[in-house]
Amino acid sequence: MAADTLFQRITDYANRADPYPLYAELRENGVARQDDGSYLVGTYHEIAALLHDPRISSDRRQRTVPDGAAGTDEGVPPSFIGLDDPEHHRLRGMAMRSFGPPHTPDRIDGMHEDITRIVRDLLAGLADKERIDVVDDFAYPLPVTVICRLLGVPAEDEPRFREWSDAIVAGFDPTPDEDPAERQRAGTEARKTMALYLGDLAERRRGHPSGDMLSAFVNDAGPEGQLTPLETMATGVLLLIAGHETTVNLITNGMLTLLRHPDALARLRREPELMPLAVEELLRFEPPVQMLPQRTPLADIEVAGRTIPKGSPLILMLAAGNRDPQRFADADRFDPAREDNQHLGFGSGVHSCFGAPLARLETQIALHELIRHLDTPRLIEDPPEYRRSPVLRGPRHLLIGRG
Amino acid sequence: MHIVVDLNRCQGYAQCAFLAPGVFTMHGEESLLYTPVVPEEQRERVRRAVAACPVQAILVGEEAGTGAR
Ligand code: HEM
Ligand code: SF4
Repeated sequence: MAADTLFQRITDYANRADPYPLYAELRENGVARQDDGSYLVGTYHEIAALLHDPRISSDRRQRTVPDGAAGTDEGVPPSFIGLDDPEHHRLRGMAMRSFGPPHTPDRIDGMHEDITRIVRDLLAGLADKERIDVVDDFAYPLPVTVICRLLGVPAEDEPRFREWSDAIVAGFDPTPDEDPAERQRAGTEARKTMALYLGDLAERRRGHPSGDMLSAFVNDAGPEGQLTPLETMATGVLLLIAGHETTVNLITNGMLTLLRHPDALARLRREPELMPLAVEELLRFEPPVQMLPQRTPLADIEVAGRTIPKGSPLILMLAAGNRDPQRFADADRFDPAREDNQHLGFGSGVHSCFGAPLARLETQIALHELIRHLDTPRLIEDPPEYRRSPVLRGPRHLLIGRG
Repeated sequence: MHIVVDLNRCQGYAQCAFLAPGVFTMHGEESLLYTPVVPEEQRERVRRAVAACPVQAILVGEEAGTGAR
């Protein structure tokens, strides 16, 4: 089939369970221009180079034809995932000050016990269920609870975050063949509501430090000063959204992949110290963020012999790069002990995932405890039912029986 | 357990310093300091750090003499 329909086919829900043959087709085409003037790139080395190229913008306002998601008219400014350096660097640095080294080196390590406790409590609640939905019963509640704790959102408000977050994520869905206007409007509205809530919570911490990240945003000034109230809101929303469904999908894709590869599952039971490597392999093999749809060249650029004009939508297919045989030996094979594994699951370059250490720790603990909890797990439905989104791809439910 | 970080390969991503802060510390934004002889209670953390390093710059030897130095 023609390469100019690839994006349509990749986003087609019928291909959600297995988009990998389409990604192979994309790699063979090098750079694929679509009818609507956007460009897809799916080969590892080209994606990696573009992610390190300062001529590639993450700011949607740089597009010749603006898209609906570009609007800032909702009042909350764009967060740093959608900004370029130097603004991106300044905001990311200020947020990092209360998240990781060098200023706060113990934050993530210090959450180890908390995460383990949350995971064990969730599993204890499932002890007499014959059938488990890995998504609703386990993977979904975990990241929300962890991020809320990190930011300092009271536990009783967590359910509201789930609602807002679902609406915001649905707003990003770029599936072309439907009118996305209503989804985008609802997403924008939810983002605003969540931002106001977080801003209010942060203001109440001003002068009353409570050890969490929102408190640090308003109380702890670094050399670059402090986040403004609007920046605090935008950053808070970003941390909540970016770390939510992504982590759910990594845990769920992880369990699904292990159940499809019983040898790997058995090996991880025997050698639990392999889990950190196995999680890296999952990020390569079934990455929760399949593509980065929001890049735009600031000048005409040449990629694999083709010119991508300034201002065109540029879509980087991370999941295709992760299976590129030019970069990975046996790229379509799941190898939980793979060592040479510089995958693109967390992106690369200046925007590479801010929350990666937390996501790694959460997923390692979650999968470790889950496979210990289930003696003889059995997949009830394969493939499972997937969520709509082709960007944040993962099962909507994952039903497992206990043997 | 001994470790050595190939500082030519290390890109300062700091993944190791998040996951095993008792062994790896960031000095300023980009330079990395680490303890080559890993205490017993840090082994699991170091394993996480090794797997997380995007450029596989951390080399491990389980016994003295096979790894660092
Ligand atoms: C398995 C889980 C996760 C995956 C697969 C993932 C993946 C990614 C990817 C691919 C990017 C690059 C986006 C781009 O280049 O445009 C990214 C950025 C980001 N992620 Fe994650 N992420 C995960 C979990 C988290 C968590 C738990 C947090 C928050 C604590 C988080 C916060 C962020 C932020 C703030 C950015 C923007 C970084 C920047 O623009 O500088 N992520 N993530
Ligand atoms: S994770 Fe690897 S690249 Fe990053 S600072 Fe540590 S050793 Fe260097």
